[in-house]
Amino acid sequence: MTVDSESNRSATTAFGFDWLSVALVLGGVLLLYYVVPLLSLFLSVPPGTVLSRLSDPTVVDSATTSLLSASISTVVATLFGLPLAYWLARTDGLVTKVVLAVVVLPLVLPPTVGGIVLLTVFGPGSPLGDAAIAAGVPLTRSLAGVVLAQTFVASPFVVVTAKAAFEGVDRTLEHASRSLGKSRLATARHVTLPLAGPGILAGVTLAFARAIGEFGATMMVAYYPRTMPVQIWVSFQSLGLDNAYPVAILLVLVAAAALLLLNTVASNPWE
Amino acid sequence: MGMTLDLSRLRKAYGQFDFGPVDLTVDDEVLAVLGPSGSGKTTLLSLVAGITSPDSGSIRLDGRDLTGVPLEERRVGMVFQEGALFPHMTARENIAYAATDSDRVDDLAAVLEVTDILDRTPPTLSGGERQRVALARTLATDPDVLLLDEPLSSLDAPIRTRLRDELHSLFASLTIPVLYVTHDQRTATALGDRLAIVRDGGIEQEGTPSAVLTRPTNRFVARFTGTENLFEGTVTDRSADGATVRLGDIHLRTTAASVPSDDVTVCIHPSRVAVDAPYVTDGDTAANTVTGTVTRWLNEGSEYRVDIDINAGAHTLTASVRPPTFERLALENGSDVQVLVPAESIHLIPDGE
Repeated sequence: MTVDSESNRSATTAFGFDWLSVALVLGGVLLLYYVVPLLSLFLSVPPGTVLSRLSDPTVVDSATTSLLSASISTVVATLFGLPLAYWLARTDGLVTKVVLAVVVLPLVLPPTVGGIVLLTVFGPGSPLGDAAIAAGVPLTRSLAGVVLAQTFVASPFVVVTAKAAFEGVDRTLEHASRSLGKSRLATARHVTLPLAGPGILAGVTLAFARAIGEFGATMMVAYYPRTMPVQIWVSFQSLGLDNAYPVAILLVLVAAAALLLLNTVASNPWE
Repeated sequence: MGMTLDLSRLRKAYGQFDFGPVDLTVDDEVLAVLGPSGSGKTTLLSLVAGITSPDSGSIRLDGRDLTGVPLEERRVGMVFQEGALFPHMTARENIAYAATDSDRVDDLAAVLEVTDILDRTPPTLSGGERQRVALARTLATDPDVLLLDEPLSSLDAPIRTRLRDELHSLFASLTIPVLYVTHDQRTATALGDRLAIVRDGGIEQEGTPSAVLTRPTNRFVARFTGTENLFEGTVTDRSADGATVRLGDIHLRTTAASVPSDDVTVCIHPSRVAVDAPYVTDGDTAANTVTGTVTRWLNEGSEYRVDIDINAGAHTLTASVRPPTFERLALENGSDVQVLVPAESIHLIPDGE
């Protein structure tokens, strides 16, 4: 055996490279594939043009719609997602597995299909949709529609990431807190949430990033008011690629900010 | 004042493991629960604390039924195995989390000698410091019962011994039932006013440490409390002074009265025999004298464990020998010795137990 590995080692060095270098080269190709198009996007338009276009009403409107809707979606996803994540983290069994599968479904479902699914419940013609229109709060072609679409697609990120964060909190600490006379709620507030905090923040950040980039389901449910991704598509369709750049650059910056947040205050779930 | 913890017919079934039924009463005293891992010690504490709920039976604290009472309302203080300190809080914040007023934090910190480390966070504390803070935190709630789950098991020997001595005086100052779970016999006998030996979810024997150590009721308890010499013997004579048992060709006088069966297990604790040179005779007529040959010895630091073949090699008797004696006799493998076994050092267990 010793002899074998000796000969193997000399064979690798004889060719003048080792597998780590090969891995680095192959990985480097992929890395360039990520970086070059991004750089090219920033270089394809002079900064002055981008800045001037940023004050364009369509850009401002879409940015406002996106930031507002994504913020609301994130709050809704967090509000309903954290309890579900906690429940998933603290129970075991078949029911838990099924529930988790249902939670992950919107992640694997094509977004346009997600949009169709939502339209069957909230769209015109459906009982709920018609009732909402009658009440003056249409659930399609409205900010409410955008939020519905974004929440559907983005909330699983909160649930899945926060679940892992809750699971990282030793149950013994919760038992200790309660044995010291603190209620379940006080325990959650003072022990579980602070300890799971960075993980939860990561989930919230991911959900926000996903919500602001949401296109497929939003297109189906609420073409108006236009979010940034929809505006990019409209500009590209009607005025050509050049006109899609400014909003695209804005979205890249938002994504970069989310990444920065993940690597500082939040705990990056992929690290 | 004095509280009483009363467990009655307490049962809990897990998949492969059945706990109970257990009956136990703990007054204002320390009950040390001693057993191997997986014997149900932690289950017992979880049931009393309210972390797990029993399938049947009841837990009463001074007459108050705790069944169904959530753990935050039980007033049961628990010190967890590794301390279970909140890692995002300083030592002071941990204690203050439980305390009703801030004077209490400083008082307890002084008692447990953690005043200097109050502003540090748990990850920077040593194992012993963590346990001190955990104990202070639990005591800050003024619990009606104190439960401790092997708080010393992860500590280095010198710190363990020191903290154990401190716990002993601390427990003496408390007027509540204390349930101390451990797998370490020395800790259990040092701290317990009474001892409960558990195995497979049930209590094997209960009593004062010296009673359990010197008069185990079955072979498991004998072995688990350090009685390594267990031999099959036969009772040959019963007199008012005690029975005589035969072990191969050796007859041993004992002080055991009322032995129910003829077939018995003869228990001799290694520390309760004396090893001497073969020719020495002393005046102690109460002691049985057995001759043998040293076959093996181990230096355990504070004592030597010496295996001695007796009965022409049919039995091996293990004796613990203090270093001065070991050196005086210049013991080595093959040394001929005589072993003095006092009659009162021999305990008999009826066969089948």
